[in-house]
Amino acid sequence: MKMSTYEILCCPVCKGDLTLKTDKKEILETGEEDIIEGTLRCESCGVDYPVSEGIPDLLPRDKKGIISG
Amino acid sequence: MNDKEIIPEYHEQVYQPEADTYLLLKAVMAEIRCDDRVIEIGTGSGKIAGEVYKISKNVTATDINPHACRSAAALGPEVIRTDIAAGICSGFDLVIFNPPYLPTGEEEKIDDWLEYALDGGISGRETIEKFAEALPGIMDKNGRCLLLVSSLTGAEKVRDIFSRKKMLSFVILSEKCEDETLYILRIVHDICCDHLYS
Repeated sequence: MKMSTYEILCCPVCKGDLTLKTDKKEILETGEEDIIEGTLRCESCGVDYPVSEGIPDLLPRDKKGIISG
Repeated sequence: MNDKEIIPEYHEQVYQPEADTYLLLKAVMAEIRCDDRVIEIGTGSGKIAGEVYKISKNVTATDINPHACRSAAALGPEVIRTDIAAGICSGFDLVIFNPPYLPTGEEEKIDDWLEYALDGGISGRETIEKFAEALPGIMDKNGRCLLLVSSLTGAEKVRDIFSRKKMLSFVILSEKCEDETLYILRIVHDICCDHLYS
């Protein structure tokens, strides 16, 4: 997930901003950061959405990370 | 089409390119401008997003199916796992969607990820209606949307859905395909309508 992609994401439930925590990243040839592993946190819902293998997973889930519905 | 054709890696639970994919791809290639910010909703194998990536590096794809997300990401586009565009808060110049449209009853459902690529609910239009709700939020004021519909779904009924949302749609391409006819709708905001009501 490029940083430019991070900027267009929101919480799928409340549409609020997400805070990025990066665990693993690469730097692209363009100089842009590419997040490989990390977490996108919605503070108002108290939910963490994972970024895994470079793909943010924004399916609604509960606070324990269990995907709902 | 330039360069080599993209062949997505096969996965049994990912919708593979079919006649509908190729018809939509043809319309996309005629429509796209090199500076377009592009999003493909429900990208599946990633075939279309991957071909677009050769022209515009600013291409994002979504899918609810994790296997589809990985297939599409391998072809280059930025991929977000989300339902339609639920986790996206930005406008795009070109929105592409080949929706699940087969009218499907409860007894016909199969419980796997491929179900999401095919099942359009009882009417065949359930996912298209959800998409019509989301479209104003992800299509810029001067943006365009290319949507595949089938005679099984009812092209005119689909056009009614968008006209109720103050959007204009036109059939720009069609193709007879076994027992259905496939159509490509080009959808834009009705800017004149905005002016009248603002």
